[in-house]
Amino acid sequence: MSISETMQSTARDLLISGQVQRVIGFEASPRGRVRPAIIDRPEEAERLVWSADCTHNLTVYLQRALNRDNGHASREPATPPARVAIVVKPCDSRAINVLLAEHQFSREQVFAIGMACEGIRQGAPASAPEATLQERCLRCRERVPVVHDVLLGEPPSALPEALPDEALAHVRGLPPAERAAFWLNQFDRCIRCYACRQTCPMCNCPTCLFEQEDALWVGMRIAPSEKRAFHLGRALHLAGRCVGCNECERVCPMGIPIGLLNRHLAETVESLYGHRAGMQAVLSPVTGMLSAEESAP
Amino acid sequence: MYEPKVIGFLCTWCSYTGADSAGTSRLKTPWNLRAVRVPCSGRVAPELILRAFDQGADGVLVLGCHIGECHYDSGNHRAAKRIPLLLSILEFAGMQPERLRLDWVSASEGDRYARIVSEFVDALRPLGPNTWRISGAAPRTGAAIGVPLPLVSGLSGGAPCP
Repeated sequence: MSISETMQSTARDLLISGQVQRVIGFEASPRGRVRPAIIDRPEEAERLVWSADCTHNLTVYLQRALNRDNGHASREPATPPARVAIVVKPCDSRAINVLLAEHQFSREQVFAIGMACEGIRQGAPASAPEATLQERCLRCRERVPVVHDVLLGEPPSALPEALPDEALAHVRGLPPAERAAFWLNQFDRCIRCYACRQTCPMCNCPTCLFEQEDALWVGMRIAPSEKRAFHLGRALHLAGRCVGCNECERVCPMGIPIGLLNRHLAETVESLYGHRAGMQAVLSPVTGMLSAEESAP
Repeated sequence: MYEPKVIGFLCTWCSYTGADSAGTSRLKTPWNLRAVRVPCSGRVAPELILRAFDQGADGVLVLGCHIGECHYDSGNHRAAKRIPLLLSILEFAGMQPERLRLDWVSASEGDRYARIVSEFVDALRPLGPNTWRISGAAPRTGAAIGVPLPLVSGLSGGAPCP
């Protein structure tokens, strides 16, 4: 039985037995790759697929499914499902932990279908033989989701060596003036479409700070300084929370390397506080009190 | 001669009074610091500091109560957690780290206040003017917009962004 078939039967069983009312997974897209799928009926479970193209971080749909509305106005049921099953890769599963720590939903509301992950391919069509792994996957060594209720697939026994983050080291190695020019050049392309924010499971404020017309200190204009403040500010809001799924960078229509900012802060948080987001369901150390041994500055 | 322009966010419960105390004891303090009185150093969100730099500040000094003496128990803890990260990302985005400093000054420590401000301004002077502000960026209150909208069908080209 292929991995997709295993996933379909798992989802079908969960829906038939009533353990979950909804399954969030992937289905084949008409454009040859995959897209997110939301399954409410057992007979629809055959749409589900799993492949090395399943790049989306589906946890962004979790809160909407569980707390706010049913996500799709035209769909039944109108009441939020009590429990939702979600297909997660190791990186996505860490997002569940962060959201649990922030009390966005409870553990009982989520059934995590963990996938043993060998890395996700880059954006080429699935059929392209030369498709290589995404860079984030080459740097990643996690193969088994941190949060899972059932694990599908076999985690590979021999791990390839994780690659160093060359892009990050390169930007860090630039002289300050060149670094400033580099980032201004990047931020200048931003069109403030907020795709990075929409796709981020951690960006879940009901009203975004950067989209308030009356915000005194942040601007909404398409001016380079305000775009810079948006990106730096958003990175700060994700400090200690970002799990590095890199969806923000993937969806950016202007190709801004947003992931660099997030990875830089993730490393800073790890070196300052020894915290990696989502490895356990604990809050970011950035929002709390200083521990006894810390006394900054 | 170049003199740095410094924005100081001073906690009203301690360092703002500390600055007063420096004044009443006739201590010489640099005039470069423009004080902004805030209820707590924990009120100083990173966005406020970013805005100060965007508007042309050469340095930003955040002064709060010593750890354990916060009027609101944990506001200065929050500042102590946040500002090192802001410093880290500002440095990553190309700013000199000397331009932002967080320190603690209690209400009675006028001498400490004077010393910290002098030290900070002295450290800024050799750096020269901050290049962070994007020249031509209109002030937020102004109607003029620095960058015109790209041509979008249905919109007149280059119309100012509302």
